Amino acid sequence: MIDFSHVGKTYPNGFQALKDINLKIEQGEFVAVIGLSGAGKSTLIRTINRMHDVTEGTLTVDDVDVMALKGKALRRFRRRIGMIFQSFNLVTRTTVLKNVLAARVPDLSWWRAFLGVFPKADKLAALEALDQVGILDKAYVRADQLSGGQQQRVALARTLAQNPQIILADEPVASLDPVTARQVMRDFARINQELNITVIINIHHVELALQHASRVIGIRAGEIVYDGSAADVTPQVLEQIYDGKLEEAENESV
Amino acid sequence: MSLYDKIFPPRITTLPNGKSVAKPRSRAPVVILVILALSYVSVKVTGFDLSVVVRRSKEFFVIFARMVPPEWGYMSRVWKPLMDTIKMSLLGSAVGALLAVPFATLASTNIVKNKVLVAAMRLFFSLVRTLPTLITALIATYIFGLGTLAGTIAIAVFTFAYLGKVLYEEIETVDMGAFEAMESMGVTKARAFVFAILPQVAPSYFSNCLFCFEGNVRYAAILGYVGAGGIGLILNEKIGWREYPSVGIILLALFVTVFIIETISREIRRHLT
Repeated sequence: MIDFSHVGKTYPNGFQALKDINLKIEQGEFVAVIGLSGAGKSTLIRTINRMHDVTEGTLTVDDVDVMALKGKALRRFRRRIGMIFQSFNLVTRTTVLKNVLAARVPDLSWWRAFLGVFPKADKLAALEALDQVGILDKAYVRADQLSGGQQQRVALARTLAQNPQIILADEPVASLDPVTARQVMRDFARINQELNITVIINIHHVELALQHASRVIGIRAGEIVYDGSAADVTPQVLEQIYDGKLEEAENESV
Repeated sequence: MSLYDKIFPPRITTLPNGKSVAKPRSRAPVVILVILALSYVSVKVTGFDLSVVVRRSKEFFVIFARMVPPEWGYMSRVWKPLMDTIKMSLLGSAVGALLAVPFATLASTNIVKNKVLVAAMRLFFSLVRTLPTLITALIATYIFGLGTLAGTIAIAVFTFAYLGKVLYEEIETVDMGAFEAMESMGVTKARAFVFAILPQVAPSYFSNCLFCFEGNVRYAAILGYVGAGGIGLILNEKIGWREYPSVGIILLALFVTVFIIETISREIRRHLT
């Protein structure tokens, strides 16, 4: 369980990205976080695996105080949390398989890590992860030869090879076309259901969010303004989350 | 609006619907004036005299003519110093290039967050780079004695400083996405560097190594002047004795060697990038 208790985050320049966040996310939930750019979605997600530090309150993941973790303990903690990025963050110059194997690097002995020699079991696990996202045939292709959707699947396979309990996804479909975006969202939903992995997604595409996620969290200026079932999100709720700007933008486009 | 724009107002284009955009005036005329002025000053300061260049240039052809035909028989004595030169540059380049990797990593702001360490590394690189190779070789001969070892070390030092700078600049422009992803998976910085950064910089690094090696063969050829071994030793000697036919064969051998190495290196580099 992820538990935010009065969590705040102030950047060194004084900008308050998160204000008094109280939030509990159970194992196996599929949560979509929506809100305007700069509202604090990304900061919220990145505090969970401590890519960002929180400055106030406490954040625990399975009763572990995240801010108390350091060095080796932090790295071991992070191995249970997968992360997916908007720009895929693959090593584009190398093969798909090598990218997925990256998830196994923490377990390697130093000489294996230095030379990039992986045990057979790791290779098998990586290939299985690729099979799970349906791109086993691309294992020995260079990552930059793949389409955006395929690259995001490689990233997903890399995360699966990590055997995570939680997957954090920061705008995973923002650079994909609508069809591919839908497919990738379905991948997330399937992984969430079949493997009972908690999935937390930042997403701009409200329609996709409501379709696939079970729970929606709306963030406005660093504060949670909506937290509830995706089915209960009404146009009024969206107006509130997007600060009345949704209607404004729609009027402008007419 | 800068002062320049006030003196030379931007050109305004107005669209039929009344909206307008401003195109700032080119800065090029000012830059050209400054360059011309500086050129004039440098001609005065260095005492550059065109008439001397015109009058004496033909002497080059006199010397060149005396190198032809080269003294072919002397070639048997050229092989060893020539091979020494190549060995010096090859070994020196390899050692310098290898040493440059860890130091360049520590000088990259996107990998090392400690500003003091980065600044110290960069200062170290610039200090080493300031040292002319010939001077390094001279000092090396005092320390390690006359011969190819001193030359090898001088080349290694130069390669280290040059490649180090090129490499840390390269490392700073890589896409940090994969590195970030690996950190988020709980991989140590060192391992994330090996897996996420090295594959990105490797092709240009190897290409730069080869380019540096090409240049080093030419550098190594003159290190003999300060006693650091190689072909420069006999070149210096033969020029001193005005034995131009022998100088001719040395230069020809050097030319062919450099040409072959550059051709091979260019071919390999073409496939790298």
